[in-house]
Amino acid sequence: MASQTKTKLLARHAANAALNIPLPGIAMRDAHDLGADEPFYPLDERIIAGAVEALESGQTHYVDVPGIAALREAIAKHLNAACGTSWQSANILVTAGLQEARFLTIQIIGAQFEQIGVPTVAHPGLQKALGVRRRQVVSLPVETELGCLPSLDEIAAALKNGCRLLYLESPSRLSGAAYTQNQVARIADMLAQHDAAAIWDQGLARWVDEGCSSLAALAEGATAAIGEAWHGIGLGSWLVGSIAAPTDWIAPMQSQKQIMAICTSTASQYAALAASEIVGETHQQRLGQMRRQRAAALAMASELGLDLLPGAANNLLALQADAAARERLAEAGIDFAAGEDFGARDIVRLNIGAATATAIEALG
Amino acid sequence: MSKKKQAAGTNLLYQLIAEARTYDDVIVMGRGDPDFDTPAHIVAAAKHAMIHHQADVAPAAGLPALREAIAARVKRVNNIDVDPASEVVVTNGGQEALFLMVLAALGEGDELIVPEPNYNTYADSLAFAGGVKVAVQTAHEADFRADPAVVRAAITEKTRALLLVSPNNPAANVISPADMRALVDLASEHDLMILADDIYDLFVYDDFVHTSPASLPGGKERSLTLNALSKAYSMTGWRLGWIVGPADLMARVAELKAAISGGTSIISQHAGIAALTGPQDAVDMMAAAYARRRRLVLDALDEMGMQYGVPQGGQFVFANIAFTGMDSAEVAQRILSEQHVLAYPGSAFSKERKDYLRMTFLQPEEQLVEGLRRMKLAMASL
Repeated sequence: MASQTKTKLLARHAANAALNIPLPGIAMRDAHDLGADEPFYPLDERIIAGAVEALESGQTHYVDVPGIAALREAIAKHLNAACGTSWQSANILVTAGLQEARFLTIQIIGAQFEQIGVPTVAHPGLQKALGVRRRQVVSLPVETELGCLPSLDEIAAALKNGCRLLYLESPSRLSGAAYTQNQVARIADMLAQHDAAAIWDQGLARWVDEGCSSLAALAEGATAAIGEAWHGIGLGSWLVGSIAAPTDWIAPMQSQKQIMAICTSTASQYAALAASEIVGETHQQRLGQMRRQRAAALAMASELGLDLLPGAANNLLALQADAAARERLAEAGIDFAAGEDFGARDIVRLNIGAATATAIEALG
Repeated sequence: MSKKKQAAGTNLLYQLIAEARTYDDVIVMGRGDPDFDTPAHIVAAAKHAMIHHQADVAPAAGLPALREAIAARVKRVNNIDVDPASEVVVTNGGQEALFLMVLAALGEGDELIVPEPNYNTYADSLAFAGGVKVAVQTAHEADFRADPAVVRAAITEKTRALLLVSPNNPAANVISPADMRALVDLASEHDLMILADDIYDLFVYDDFVHTSPASLPGGKERSLTLNALSKAYSMTGWRLGWIVGPADLMARVAELKAAISGGTSIISQHAGIAALTGPQDAVDMMAAAYARRRRLVLDALDEMGMQYGVPQGGQFVFANIAFTGMDSAEVAQRILSEQHVLAYPGSAFSKERKDYLRMTFLQPEEQLVEGLRRMKLAMASL
């Protein structure tokens, strides 16, 4: 006889549409996989050596819940250099990838607020994390002309209406669009004016020419900054992310991390620590390569009359693409991320890489 | 009361761990972290994966080859038949498996029957899910046996699931085949889900026998069963575990897994394949060592005149300290401060267990002997 308990349980899960949204792949499988979250670059052998040395010296046991001390320190140092913040190790929580950082911030910081304002277009991991334990959500409509970021007016309206916690991506995980320095300053002012706070996904900031303003620099006491450690370094499938936040926010997230995972994989953490020492070495070269590939793709797209969304991060681009265009992409053997999963219809997201030109050609 | 003494549950344990770190000569008989390093062939496989599989991409449920290895393992060890493609989800250690299992099976107001004492994270996870713990108390005089008749009496119209951790943490009792049969029948009769935690299934002593509820008739379709490589292969830092269960429910577990952490480290997954499919002699060696150490600890406790439930499995003993007339948090604090031995207070596992200590036997024998000597001194001074 079928279990009624299980039937009811399954019905409850099925009704939670947020959990059914597919996530893009964590990292590219091959050159034609332009839909994944991270580009693929072969790992520097020093990163492998760092991880192997740790394992062979017996670092195979539990480590501290918030992460190994040296990695927390390295992450704080990198964030401070890139964003102008003044985080200490105690402000850093190492996570098992970016999705765990999303989950912990949304669920644990979110629990301290009645509502959370989230863009109608964002990485699908946001909706999934919200779906695990429902929070009262205030939708922040986005504007296509802004690369699917919420306008400052929409942010102001949400704050004026009582929303005191925002979740924002800058750069956008769909288009790569980022808030300008002035816009970030205005957001910080609005937070201060309303005694509000923000979760700020800045994982793609390193792919923006001349860097990307971080809200954490202007509202450090009211911002949790999340991201990968480090996006595009080659550790995508190793899953290392981080949360930088005021210590009174870190404490409950650390407790929750203990409850749901105890700690992050030691091999991954030691690899990230080794990566922290060389992350700057290859960055400019990779960024330059991406910039050239992206410029060529944009030129071709313009020639073909394709509609592009504004974007600042060089690692991806988003284009208008109807069903027929998507079929052509599929015929060309190109994998892409579907805008629908992010909340944006008729848009595709492509990684910048060797096959991006082929994808643009197919879309034309 | 000092701030220290106000901590409870997991926070209390972390407070003690932090203090233990400040002593150079500390002997740790608290945390469930085996002293053995991960076997060399597993580390070698990880190194190979770092070079040759660094960019492998796995679905959130895990690498197909690992899920196949897990399916073969649960068939071989637990006698559970699962389809690797649809009935296995790989997790960030047993802890994430536990959290997912609770979230998948229980929601707001749902009751979970928990034989106590039990691993404190079940209560924490249940609180996150909005569920309600219904404790069924057990006694050391009966080796912490959860009597099916007592469990039956705890069932209400809101009961949705039954937690069966065998060998139990911290009580170290093993549910007998007859009791397991009765508990599965009870779950069937009342249409309850079973959350089974088999993480210590390879560490069972004397003539005791481990039985997985999902291996019994009527058990599989209503059971989610977790396990991990942490304890059996000394891989606590790798964070690799799994849940097996019926395909319909496992699809939901996979969705929750994607929502919580997105995936599991690709290197840990390759290491896991090596652990499950490679030589098992390291596991046998560790099991034999734990059996010797267990005897050593029990002899010392007998010498101190302490009472305990005989550990039928697992890697620890849950000993009664009522004779001290003190709260276990205070006793653990004094043993740590005065003798630099870390043991876990029973109150961290359950507020009903303020007169117990959990002591692990996850240290080299010479350290264990020294730890027990110091503990004897500490007990004499209380």
